[in-house]
Amino acid sequence: MAGKTIEIIKTKRKVPEALRQRHKEYLGLRKKIREALADGEATIPQISQKTGIPADQVVFLVMTLRKYDEIVAGDMDDMDEYYYYKLSEK
Amino acid sequence: MEQNMKNSSVKVADTLILGGGIAGLEAALNLANTGHQVVIVEKDLSIGGRMIHLSKVFPTLDCSACITTPKVSEASRHPGIHIQVNTGAKKLAFDAKGHWHVHVQTEPRFVNESLCTGCQDCERACPVVVKDEYQYNLVGRKVAYIPFSIASPRIAAIDIENCILCGACEKACVPGAIDFSQEPVQTEWIVKSVIIASGFTLFDPDQIERYGGGKFKNVVTAMQMERQLVPTRPFNTVLRPGDGKIPDKVAYVLCAGSRDGTVGNPICSQICCMYSIKQAQLILGALPMADVTVYYLHIRSFGKGFDEFYQQAKKMDVSFIKGKIGKISELENGDLMLRYEDIASGKIKEAKHDMVVLSVGILANRDIEKISGLENLELDPFHYLKQRQEMSNPFKTNLPGIFMAGTASGPMDIPDSILSAGAVSAMVTKYNKGFVESIINSLTISSWNE
Repeated sequence: MAGKTIEIIKTKRKVPEALRQRHKEYLGLRKKIREALADGEATIPQISQKTGIPADQVVFLVMTLRKYDEIVAGDMDDMDEYYYYKLSEK
Repeated sequence: MEQNMKNSSVKVADTLILGGGIAGLEAALNLANTGHQVVIVEKDLSIGGRMIHLSKVFPTLDCSACITTPKVSEASRHPGIHIQVNTGAKKLAFDAKGHWHVHVQTEPRFVNESLCTGCQDCERACPVVVKDEYQYNLVGRKVAYIPFSIASPRIAAIDIENCILCGACEKACVPGAIDFSQEPVQTEWIVKSVIIASGFTLFDPDQIERYGGGKFKNVVTAMQMERQLVPTRPFNTVLRPGDGKIPDKVAYVLCAGSRDGTVGNPICSQICCMYSIKQAQLILGALPMADVTVYYLHIRSFGKGFDEFYQQAKKMDVSFIKGKIGKISELENGDLMLRYEDIASGKIKEAKHDMVVLSVGILANRDIEKISGLENLELDPFHYLKQRQEMSNPFKTNLPGIFMAGTASGPMDIPDSILSAGAVSAMVTKYNKGFVESIINSLTISSWNE
């Protein structure tokens, strides 16, 4: 079965359009965040300002990308309020 | 001989336990260690229940996972225990011989359990991200995923409802474990006794609009804070989910959804005071410069060492204000204004905090009511299993051979859950006596481990 079973389930299930759209939206947000960090590290509010993505969504996305090693956390800012985040060198 | 049909089979054991949390595991181990054959049916992808997700336990501040995982591990490899995860009970029927026939259905995880090595290659290859329910939605997870790092079994699963069927996981899986052809599997268990250890659910604070739960980004539930305090924490530190700021002034609001008839839960959840005091201490460990304030109606520190634990929190400069929260408002910068009645002075006051934790109460797990054949199972007014003889026989239900353990019978803390599991396993040991041997001699089916 290995390597072929995806074709079996495709005959039984259809991917809802809403799910496709949600995935596309995620990919777009991920791209924006990666672009925002391409020039160097930034805090969550700075990423939010650069990308126009609400700060709570930036937290969710940055932490998810950090979980999957796309982003790493750096030092705290001068006020000890926010961490800097940067793209992983991987 | 086992009767096997396509995707279904009939098996026999002494006891079936509904729920693989700490109470179910404790009961299973006690029974299996006395020679009983036990099957654990767990609806989640992993056993371990809620306890495996906690940081520390009160009042000892012992590592919660360090207590849970040895039991998880022992149960997983015990020759007398069979575990079915991702499985729900659909129907129970009592026959004339005094046996329970429990029909369970294992949902497909689309991963061959015997081939998966837990390497997470599928997870890395999967492009789709959804909210991670095991991190209480603070962070995302992939659709092909290992539920959490210490999950047992540590086997991947495909969240088919959110899968875009791209096949990336299947291509990435070297052992060829991904199997989208899986279907639900039915099993009928014939058992002498059933222990319901189905645990509890958490109160949804969105029901209390004045607290802003679900609306204000920096109002979190105690379980979300708990996840921020565990070693596998989603943010790797304690942060505000609204903007990633390190919180400086944290408020706890106790009795959020407990002792409140207006939200349908007039009883005390028994654990919120102490877990809040525990978290307050842990926050001060993680963020030594933070101020933590606990708004409470009464501190119920009734257990062994609980009051000393409360006093210890006070000595660590956790502030305790006896006050009823009227309303929480969100300020422009994400800070939160708490308007409350200061019971000591009788005055209405306001206080600003940059993060609020709602110490949400617990509710009965009402999934048990959905199981066919349990319509006559007696519940108490709060939908917990009714203890008909609370003093003399507290773990027996009104149905023959059906027992209860842990929070299935009402709110209780971890030691009491374990204690109840110990007591119920003693009762069940007596009740089961010689069951599997007798049924195997009389029927043409086999024990599951033959």
